Amino acid sequence: MTAARQQASRPAAGTVIKCVAWDIDNTLLAGTFIESGTWPPADPEMAAALAELGSRGIVHAIATRNPPAAASYAAQATGARFVAVEAGWGRKSAAIGRILADLGISADALAFVDDDPYERAEVSFALPDVLVLSPEDMTDALGWPEFSPAVITDEARRRSELYLDRKRRQAAERGFGGSRDDFLRYCRTEISIDPASEADVARLHELSVRTHQFNSAGRGATEAAFHAMIGAPGQEVVTVRLRDRFGDDGIVGGCVTEHGEDGIWTVRLLMMSCRAMGRGVIDALLAWLIRSAAGHGARTLEVPSALNARNVPLRLALAAAAFRAPGAGPDPTAAGAADAQPADVNADQGGKSAGGRQVVYRRSLAGPLPELPGWLTGPAGSPRAEPADSLPAGPADSPQASIADGQGARRDP
Amino acid sequence: MILDELRLILAEVTRRPELADAPADAPLFGTGIGLDSLSGTLLLREIAHRCGVDVAAEDINLDALASLATLAAFVQARSPTADLG
Repeated sequence: MTAARQQASRPAAGTVIKCVAWDIDNTLLAGTFIESGTWPPADPEMAAALAELGSRGIVHAIATRNPPAAASYAAQATGARFVAVEAGWGRKSAAIGRILADLGISADALAFVDDDPYERAEVSFALPDVLVLSPEDMTDALGWPEFSPAVITDEARRRSELYLDRKRRQAAERGFGGSRDDFLRYCRTEISIDPASEADVARLHELSVRTHQFNSAGRGATEAAFHAMIGAPGQEVVTVRLRDRFGDDGIVGGCVTEHGEDGIWTVRLLMMSCRAMGRGVIDALLAWLIRSAAGHGARTLEVPSALNARNVPLRLALAAAAFRAPGAGPDPTAAGAADAQPADVNADQGGKSAGGRQVVYRRSLAGPLPELPGWLTGPAGSPRAEPADSLPAGPADSPQASIADGQGARRDP
Repeated sequence: MILDELRLILAEVTRRPELADAPADAPLFGTGIGLDSLSGTLLLREIAHRCGVDVAAEDINLDALASLATLAAFVQARSPTADLG
């Protein structure tokens, strides 16, 4: 089954596996789980692979045609943590689909391991982007680039824990009656935007490679590129941290902004982890960027962005923050858009963006600016920061937040 | 009516049943309906699924998302399956 790697539908480069979904019978276990019988031990090779992949920041899930008790037993027998469990008698591809939705990741970020050729074929057919492997493939697969992130950050090591925090947060949200903002306050959400330092470079690089749904560049940036950008005159690199009562997500986003002399600020890279989706982070970051640029007298904020099928969430956030791409026509790469007109296509700065074209989203800084949410802490030392006590008091559960106009992080040329 | 269908989808993806009666001209972004990137992505996915219209591919600026009325007009003009009656 070593041919699995040659699947034509796999994207060529840069795809990293974020989650492996495992079958149980004759895959994780050296035998078949029978509810009333003697339970087989873990397969030692698979248990070793689970541990090794876990140490690289890859999380595990279970897709089994067994009762949930089998998943609990497999977790105990292998010693691994499973962030999503699908135990039931439906199609495996449907189970994988639910795992993808549950974790908020795309199909090409998931590998599926099953000893049964029928199950593998069914998943391959229904979800061609999933990397489908047999247990025998796993020994080799540990050496493949898909399973070998270049750097393993603190966030990566804690990824299983972060996904489990996320599940608890989602369960709380389902039972919560109020608005999204009320829920973010209840969670004691804290978003903090800080100037990036050299210590953040590994994580910034990792985000640039791993993020797709919220990535304006559509391609990764090297560590060397981040080292060069941090501290460069006229440029600002910031990190975005997120935490709440359910856990500390660490750095979930970042951006690189160029401060033009002509009153135009350009966001060269804007990225956020999809794990932070729905938690107000991207809106807070855009609001902060807009206010920061306006506070320094810029007239226009630009976000050159790749257009691809995957970063629609970023485009929604830009549209919500009143960014527009003047003159941009339909996406000619999309099905049903064959009559596309030429658009305001920006010559890509320094390389071709993967799988799409680029447009420039712009926002005028004249007129009303978006409010900063109460849970955002911007860089300190802003001369124009409003005193925190002048703000309307939030509910008793709201976080202590100091609101700044975001000017402190600017590095003047 | 496509507008009613969109209201139902919106109520579903935002998990806010009261949006099944949202006014057609209320802005989708910003205060009021407060569509964000998560609920917006789910909304566009459902529209593609149920109406066969890929709004994100055909509207780079997502101007169709100004209000339920503009979205309904956009979908209606392109949908192969829309109820035109």
